[in-house]
Amino acid sequence: MVNKFSIKNLDMYYGDFQALINVNMEILDKEITALIGPSGCGKSTFLRTLNRMNDLIEGVRVEGEILLDGENIYKDIDVTKLRTRIGMVFQKPNPFPMSVYDNVAYGPRAHGIKKKAELDEIVEKSLRRAAIWDEVKDRIKKNALSLSGGQQQRICIARALAVDPEVLLMDEPTSALDPISTLKVEDLAEELKKDITIIIVTHNMQQAARISDKTAFFLNGELIEFDETDIIFSVPKDKRTEDYITGRFG
Amino acid sequence: MKKKINFKEGLIYGIIGVATLFTIGILVFILGFIFSKGLPHLDSHFLTSQFDSTSAYVDVKLSEGTENPLGLILGEMTLKEKGSIEKQVIVVKDIEKTSLAESAVNNKGQNLAISKNDIINRIEGENVEGKSVDEVNQILNSINADKVTLRITKQGGGIFPMLMTTLMMIGLALLFSVPIGVLAAIYLVEYAKPGRFVNLVRFATESLAGIPSIIYGLFGMILFVMTLNFGYSLLAGALTLSIILLPVIIRQTEESLKAVPDSYREASFGLGANKIYTISRVIIPTAMPGIVVAIILSIGRIVGESAALLLTAGTAAKIPSSLFESGSTLTVKAYTLAKEEANIELASAIGSVIIIIILILNALSKLLSRKITKI
Repeated sequence: MVNKFSIKNLDMYYGDFQALINVNMEILDKEITALIGPSGCGKSTFLRTLNRMNDLIEGVRVEGEILLDGENIYKDIDVTKLRTRIGMVFQKPNPFPMSVYDNVAYGPRAHGIKKKAELDEIVEKSLRRAAIWDEVKDRIKKNALSLSGGQQQRICIARALAVDPEVLLMDEPTSALDPISTLKVEDLAEELKKDITIIIVTHNMQQAARISDKTAFFLNGELIEFDETDIIFSVPKDKRTEDYITGRFG
Repeated sequence: MKKKINFKEGLIYGIIGVATLFTIGILVFILGFIFSKGLPHLDSHFLTSQFDSTSAYVDVKLSEGTENPLGLILGEMTLKEKGSIEKQVIVVKDIEKTSLAESAVNNKGQNLAISKNDIINRIEGENVEGKSVDEVNQILNSINADKVTLRITKQGGGIFPMLMTTLMMIGLALLFSVPIGVLAAIYLVEYAKPGRFVNLVRFATESLAGIPSIIYGLFGMILFVMTLNFGYSLLAGALTLSIILLPVIIRQTEESLKAVPDSYREASFGLGANKIYTISRVIIPTAMPGIVVAIILSIGRIVGESAALLLTAGTAAKIPSSLFESGSTLTVKAYTLAKEEANIELASAIGSVIIIIILILNALSKLLSRKITKI
């Protein structure tokens, strides 16, 4: 196993407010890492630091290093290139108000792929990888907003996969979905793990226990504990982790 | 005690009801007044004819082998002139298919088709005013040549030039203001960092929106008509209108851009798309219905504008043949008709046309707004 991400002494500020405090973390390639913690603990903020999504917010300041395959993502890699290497799936399904095809082809088109045959191939491959090809292959020209929430979320995953990312960041991807759709997305994550690294923020402890290899527990901007999922959920070293996973707070 | 409250409520309810009825009553009264005066004038002739009547000598070839070689079916008409003098004239009621009247030529050799409702004043130099149809037909039948020279008068009283000028004004003003307004709105929503400058721009656009149009008219007259020497012209009018429209377009476009969910921007940036790609492929298409509403509202504003155009585009009742010629829109003509010629009937007829156009535009924008809220 090799390190995909190395996070060293990461501090992050929203103006005067420090949202992340001295986070150190090594994320391995082709694993699922779950980030858990109560609301406002900084786990989503941390996730959004990894593909520089926080750049869009006014007054954000990042200190420390985040290395992707040894390269500093704030210095060595162009941000658009970085975001093609690191895909992102959001909490609420957010397909564009256009056809399923155009949604999935959006990323490749943004990076200059114009040939229809090539796009067709990418779209089909991405939809198959997101395990939704069979459901939408007859409605590929229909507006993606006409699909169900669970299908929309998998379209968004297909859209992220279309640019062939090495890492997929998932920000509570199932919190707006019904249980069956949730299971489908979880199965999909485990399937995708064969090729790519997945980092998932979740509020659902069972979900973290079910699908992740490693789990990180955040509290008030600090990384409290980061270990094998089995260990975190059976014999956590920190009292605060134990309190959280046994439901005593959060 | 209970009764007192009921009385109070009843009184307030009554006042509210009266106020509402008053509002509706005024609207119905205005529409009724304008339509009752104006609608009888509305016909195809009114919409397609020139405003001023024009006279010309034309040569018409006679078609051979037909019963009526000229092919014109004539009728009598009483014409009211100024000072309530009436005179009887010969008018073209219909044109037979065999007639060559469509390819009549005037004395400069240009084509000048005879059409329905044209008045025939002279035939081969002979005045036919006051003659009966039978007499005129006798004159025509006695002609023994392959062509006949007529003096015809194309009846005016139509609003075709104003309709065309209004359309040209709409096209030209939108051409200037839509690109500038939409780009400015994109800058304000997507690029500008919130702060003093943006607040200043917003304050400026809001103030511009509140200034009465006569002020813009004065400004346009001094800048475009006089300083830049465009004269009273289509161009000066359209440029002045563009300035009036800018705040409307900027604010409406801003609102529709703000209504695009941030999750679309995040999704696009998350895929590594850059800002321009995101704006052109996701944000503008999503905001499009709102931008179209901005354009429709602008058209409404152009159709309704009178003061600013009076001072910049002038009042000529003809289709401007170049950007630097004067032309009056429907609204300006309604104004001058009522004010300078005291022709309330014709002004009301134009008013009816304007009201119908505005109603259609409002319905269109309502329809599109509903589409926006669906997103």
